[in-house]
Order: sequence, then C-alpha cells, then structure tokens
Amino acid sequence: MKVRSILLPIALFVGLSAHVGSPDVVFDGNAGPYPVRAIVRPPMVVPGVAEVIIQAEASDVARVNVRPVFWRAGVKGAPAGDDAVRVAGEKSLYTGKLWLMSRGAYSVYVTVSGARGAGTAIVPVASLATGRLALSKPLAGILVVLGAVLFVGLVTIVRAASGDALLEPGAQPTRQSKRRARIAGLVATPLLALLVLGGAQWWSSVDGDYERTMYRPPAVDPSIHGDTLDLRVHDTAAFHALFAPVIPDHGKMMHLFLIDAGSHARFGHFHPDEIDSLHFRTALAGWPKGKYKLFGDIVLANGLSQTVTTTIDWPGDTSTAPSLLGDDSWWPTCCKDAARPSRPALLGAGYTMTWTGDSNVTARQPADLRFEVKDEKGQIAHLLPYLGMAAHAVVLSADDSVFVHLHPMGTVSASAQQAFAARDRGDTTDSGRLRLSAESTSMPMPMQASIDGHLSFPYEFPKPGRYRIWVQVRAPASQVLTAAFDIDVR
Amino acid sequence: MSVAVQPSAKVYAGSEARVATRSAWHAYVAVAAATFVLVGIYWDISWHMSIGRDTFWTPAHLLIQAGGLVAGLSSGFVALKTTFAGTDAEKAATVRFWGFRAPLGAWICIWGCLAMLTSAPFDNWWHDAYGLDVKIISPPHAILALGIFSIVVGALLLTLSEQNRADEEHRPRFAWMLALVGGMFIMNYALFLTEYGERRMMHSGWFYGLTAAAFPFGLASMARAIKLKWAATAAAAFYTGIMLALMWIIGFFPATPKLGPIFQHVTHMITLPFPLLIIVPAIGIDVVMQRLDGKLPDWKLAPILSATFLGLFIAVQWPFASFLMTPAARNRFFNAENYVYWMTPTYEALQNHFDLPAHGVWPFPVHIVIALLLGTVFSFLGLSRGTWMRKVRR
Repeated sequence: MKVRSILLPIALFVGLSAHVGSPDVVFDGNAGPYPVRAIVRPPMVVPGVAEVIIQAEASDVARVNVRPVFWRAGVKGAPAGDDAVRVAGEKSLYTGKLWLMSRGAYSVYVTVSGARGAGTAIVPVASLATGRLALSKPLAGILVVLGAVLFVGLVTIVRAASGDALLEPGAQPTRQSKRRARIAGLVATPLLALLVLGGAQWWSSVDGDYERTMYRPPAVDPSIHGDTLDLRVHDTAAFHALFAPVIPDHGKMMHLFLIDAGSHARFGHFHPDEIDSLHFRTALAGWPKGKYKLFGDIVLANGLSQTVTTTIDWPGDTSTAPSLLGDDSWWPTCCKDAARPSRPALLGAGYTMTWTGDSNVTARQPADLRFEVKDEKGQIAHLLPYLGMAAHAVVLSADDSVFVHLHPMGTVSASAQQAFAARDRGDTTDSGRLRLSAESTSMPMPMQASIDGHLSFPYEFPKPGRYRIWVQVRAPASQVLTAAFDIDVR
Repeated sequence: MSVAVQPSAKVYAGSEARVATRSAWHAYVAVAAATFVLVGIYWDISWHMSIGRDTFWTPAHLLIQAGGLVAGLSSGFVALKTTFAGTDAEKAATVRFWGFRAPLGAWICIWGCLAMLTSAPFDNWWHDAYGLDVKIISPPHAILALGIFSIVVGALLLTLSEQNRADEEHRPRFAWMLALVGGMFIMNYALFLTEYGERRMMHSGWFYGLTAAAFPFGLASMARAIKLKWAATAAAAFYTGIMLALMWIIGFFPATPKLGPIFQHVTHMITLPFPLLIIVPAIGIDVVMQRLDGKLPDWKLAPILSATFLGLFIAVQWPFASFLMTPAARNRFFNAENYVYWMTPTYEALQNHFDLPAHGVWPFPVHIVIALLLGTVFSFLGLSRGTWMRKVRR
C-alpha cells in the first residue's frame, strides 16, 4: 500500500484500548461509492491530537474531510470537519489531525466527495488516556538550569528592590540600605524555596491524579464449575461514565479467546452467553488441561469496544478433544505447528492457507496481511461467512502484550459503527437507549454469501517482535477452519 | 548583592531630570509591551471561549509572546548599553545585577521574559504528558502567569522611577502612564477572578470576600504612589475602558467553534462579561486618601479604606448584577449572553439565577465581616506598598 510511504513518527507507547497494546485504528471500507482506508492514531492523552491518514484510490476523488464526533454530543454537537491534506507526491493519500477533547467513544467521520457525489464512513475510535510521558533528561536539565537562574535572579531582584532601588541616583549605598537588602534577601530565599516546593507538590499531585484516572481495561473474575467457565466483568477505576450495556457484535455478546499461556500452542474461539449485564458463561467440555490466557472482546452500546483479559488454570484432561457448540472453534484441529509465511498451513479437510502478502513487515507502518485459501483440489476455495465476516484473524505477540481481533474491515467493530449511525439518526428509545435490536444483532454479511478464498486484513503492528496470527474461515461443509502463522515484525 | 563604588549624588543632582527624560523611551516601550500582553490574554481567553482550537501561532498568542519579548529584549538592550556604554549619570540611575547595570524595572522585565520563555517548553511537555490544557491553572501556566505579571510590574517600576525622578513639567505624563499600568493591574486581578466572579455568584458573601482580598491592595497602593489627585479613579477608569473596548470590539468578529462537543451555537467571538464596577469604590478610596492620608496612621486608615471599598462596591455591584440577570442586559452592550460553546443547556439555565447559599455556609453578614477584615489587611499592605513605591528612584 502507498500508505507505507509515510511514516509519522510519534512516541511509542503501549496503550490499552479496544484491543490490548494496539491503540491504532485501521479501517478498510467504503465512504459512499468510494473505497477508503483510514488509519487513526489516537493520542495517549486526552485532550490530545489524533493523526489521521486516509487513502482514497478512486480517480474522481476531489476532497476528503475528517470530523471528530463525540458519542454524547453526536453529529449536532460536533465541530465542522477539516479537509485532509493531500500528501505531496501522492495521488490518493491524505492526512489530517483531529482534536479529541473528551474521554470516551468518538467516531471519525470520513467524508469523501467527488464526481459521484459524497459518502461518509464512520470509524469508531476510543479516546482514552493510556500513557504517561516521562520527562526526558535533556528537557529536565534545561528546566533545572532555567529554574535555578529564575530563582537566583528573583532573590537578587528582591535585594535590589529593597536596597539600591530606593537610593537617589548616584547616591552611595549606606550601611542601612545594605542591611535592608541583606534582610530582604534572607527573608525571600526561604519563602521562594517554599514556593518552589509547593509547585513541586502541585505537580506531583497532578501527576498522581492523572495516573489514578488513566484508562484501565475492565477486570474480569473467572470461576470454574465443572465444565463451565463463568466470567464476571467489573470496573477497575473511576470510569463509570465509559460503561454502557453490552451489545452484540456479529451476533455474539462476547468473543472469548483462550490461548495456551506461554507456548500459544492451543487456541479457542468461544461465545459465552450473557447471564446478567456483565456476567458471561460458556461450557468448555473436553477442553485440554492447562494454563490459558483469556481475551474477551465486548462492544458497549456507546460504541466503545473493550477487551478484558485474565488467566485461568483449566483442570481438564490433557488428552481430550473439546466438544464445541454452535460457532465455537479451536486450533490445532489437525496440525500442531504454526506455518511461516514461506509455506502453506494445513487447515484439515484438504484445505490449505498460504501467506501471500509481503512477509517483510515493519512496526508502525500499515501492513496488509494477505492469505489465499485453497480447497482439496488445489483450487481457490469458496468460503462461507463466519459470524457474518469473510474471515477473522487474531494477532498475539509472543509476550502477550499485544492482542487484536481483526476482520477484513480492519480493527473496528461493525456494531460500534452501527451504534454511531443509529445515534445520529436519533434512533433511540424513550429512555435514551439506542434502538439497536434490528441492526447489531444481525450479521454484517448474509450467512449464505459465497466468499472468494483471497483474504486481506489491514493492520499496523504496534512494535517489533514475534507474533502468532490465527486466521479463521468457514468452509462450505460448515466447519470452521483455523490456520496459524508466525511472523517476525521488524 | 555587591554594589560597585558609585559617583556621589551631588555630582548628578543637576543631570537627574535630563537622564529621566532620556530613559523614558524604555518606560514607554515597557508599558506598550505590558498592554500587548494584557490585550493578548483577553483575546486568547475569548478565542478559547469561541473557537477553542489553538496553536502556538494564534494572533492572541503571538501578541502575548511579542509583548514579553519586546519588554525583555528592550530591557536587555538597556542593560548592555548602560553597562558597557552608559554615561556616569545613566549608570547612577540603575541597580547592579550580577555585574550588569539597569533600572530595577528592566531586571523584572528580563526576569518576566525568561519566565515566559521557560514556561514554553515546559507547557509543551505538559500538553504531551497530561493533555491539552485540561486545566487552565497548571504549573507551566503558573510560570507563564508569573512572567506576565512581572512584565506588568517591570513596566510599572520603570514608569514609577521616572515619575519619582521627574520634574514638575514631566511628572503628570508619567503619572498618567502609571494610572494606565495600574488599570492593567486591576485587569490582571479581574481576569484571574473570572471563574469565581460569574454574575450568578454576585449576591454571595464569598464573592465580596474575594473582591475585598483582590482590589483594595492595588487601589490603596496606587492612590498613595501615583502623583495624581484621582489616581485610583484613573486606574479603575483605564481598567473599565480597556475591558469595555475589548468586549465590544472583539465581540464584533465572526467565529465558529472548531472543537467539540458544541452545546451553544456560537457565531461571533464570545467575550468576557461586563467589567466589575470597581470605578465607584475607587472614587471613594481617592476621596478618603485626599482627606486622611498622612493624617492617620496606616493601621487606622486601612479599615476605613476597606469599609469604603466594600460599602460602595456592594452598593453598585449588587443591583447591577440584578440588572444583568434581566432580558434588558442580553445584548451586545451589556454582554449578558456570552455563553461559551461548550456550555450545556443545564448550565446555561443556571446563569439567569443567583446561586442559592450552599447548605451549612456561614450567613451573609459573617462573610461581610470576613470581607471587611480581608479588605483591611490588604488595604494596609497596599498602603505599605504605596510607601515603598514612592521611594523607588532607579
């Protein structure tokens, strides 16, 4: 992609947002008749400035406008958008900056105008304070030197104001004026020192408040009863304002991923039932014994996506195979080793999946994770949607610090987009709740749609390192097939 | 501070007035720089109330920075010129600072400029670390405010030393300049109190306590130090004039918010409310000072000034606040509908009613007694400051 050609240097931080350790938003979709890719890099502090990169390939694009819409205020309370600026030397690449002023759910409205009229794409973005910037040594040094000069300078001014300044021009300083100046200096020094200490205390208190109110993902308490796993999600900090009822995403209240801690040798994709507002339950009958990392994706009615994480020791038998329900799936079903980009992964049932994208991937640059699925005859496979999507991918770094659930439309949740669209239409109940039943419980794609076996996931790896990527598709015989690839990101 | 051997006062007695007028350009420049800074601050506040989004390069920011630089650089030039190329007479009208020579006001302007410069990288880092102006009053902004305050103090001292050295012919000119700087002082306090002085608060004891702690200090010191018959009145008139001019002029320019969420449909620059009626108690303070200054010790004069200030201020501000609540004030002249773009409809509704006393607060008369005490303390301090100001010669 041409998006690769611009590298926007910003401080690297590992924030926690809708996903884990992967705050940047990547979206592939349409703004009316125009295909667009949008990358939004939210700031780590709020209020802050987000960077937006838009790629609009169509030849008739005349203007790209980006507008930040805060959930609570809606489009009516959003400022006029800004025209994104075309990158010099690029025909289809535009950049812009957006001010995100409040904490919570935002959406970037990308409006593309051209010969075929105008169309808008909604790109949900979480606006959360996720990072804390340390004072660099050079800047600290500069501030200490300037502060010392100001301090000594002020003491000197106080002495002069009490001494020389009161003398007639040309008059010699008297013993009395010198004494007055000395006393003033002696009184001023500790008072100013107290002032500086008070300032330092003030700074420390602001820093403490900031750290206390930084975003932390909701905690989840797991409990195991026989074959049943219960997850109770609860708030971790003073972020009640962020919370809203959970809404279905691809028809599921939670997408729960169980991944073998450390080796990442087992992977399960489950869909717990919502027992109570933030209480989820799933059966894991036959699931092999072991220690697992859990990543649970939920979408809230205010358009915010959240990932809850925890670890469990599952007490099952090591040799058993899980018995799955409905749309649940797991890996490895046939072949234990993860593939490398250089060779195809065996999916079982004669299907193979090959990495066809560029295997030289660099962190903080847009990457297209491309795959090709072939059937038992070696032909490009025809696939069915899995949970309303052409495919799902899960990216996990070797150290578990980065987790993201991707679709061909990118990192965004289709339900969050729909929530914003419904919000703008004013499609709410009398109590102000969104009327989402008709939209978010439905699948983005009809179940019978036939999908070509060429898959592509837009993404931007947040940092270098080794990652495992699980890609899931549904074969015509209705079984869900999962492939795993390992990739080293520079 | 070490002080070099200086020529005797006798040698320079005749040339004093000449030096005063020769160095007056620096006082003019410093007063102009302080005016830039204060107008810039007003404009910047208005910008944040109406447009929201800003960069380092907004006109208001540039005006503030330009004011700081003009004051600092001109003072630096004076220091270098006086130290290395100044005549003995010029050097004699200065104070020594780390081996250099310049008037006291010049050093304070240089200090203010350096404080403003220091706040810039600090503030930039602050935005990156904790967000863009989450709170207006933050440590880097406090350093910036100190720098700005110092520019005004520097301008005041440069003018003050000119007034105190000037002959009868030149003195009124400097006295009027001092009244202008005094007006900016009052404006400084008033801007600082903006958030605590909304009209809905103007029937509370808290508001009058706050104003008694803020304004008598400046009014008393000016009444004593500025060599005008109506010094406090003149300073308050400058404050009122500048605030009204800015309110009416800036308010005419079109503006739309560039940040959200937006709750008020803003079409033009939103400006600060109608200025406080400080001019009325200022007249009273001048009358008291004309009759009693020098006849009573300061500790006896201070409570009279405090009572005069509070009595007259409550007498005019209380009914004027009631008027500001009426539809008759909702126009460009009285500016009672200066709602910022982020003001929610609920908060807007609160603006047309006086705050009810919170449960458990002291009754109004107790607040007024506290206000009288505060006014007395700050009047006394102001009188002392005025005495010091009369002595400043360099």
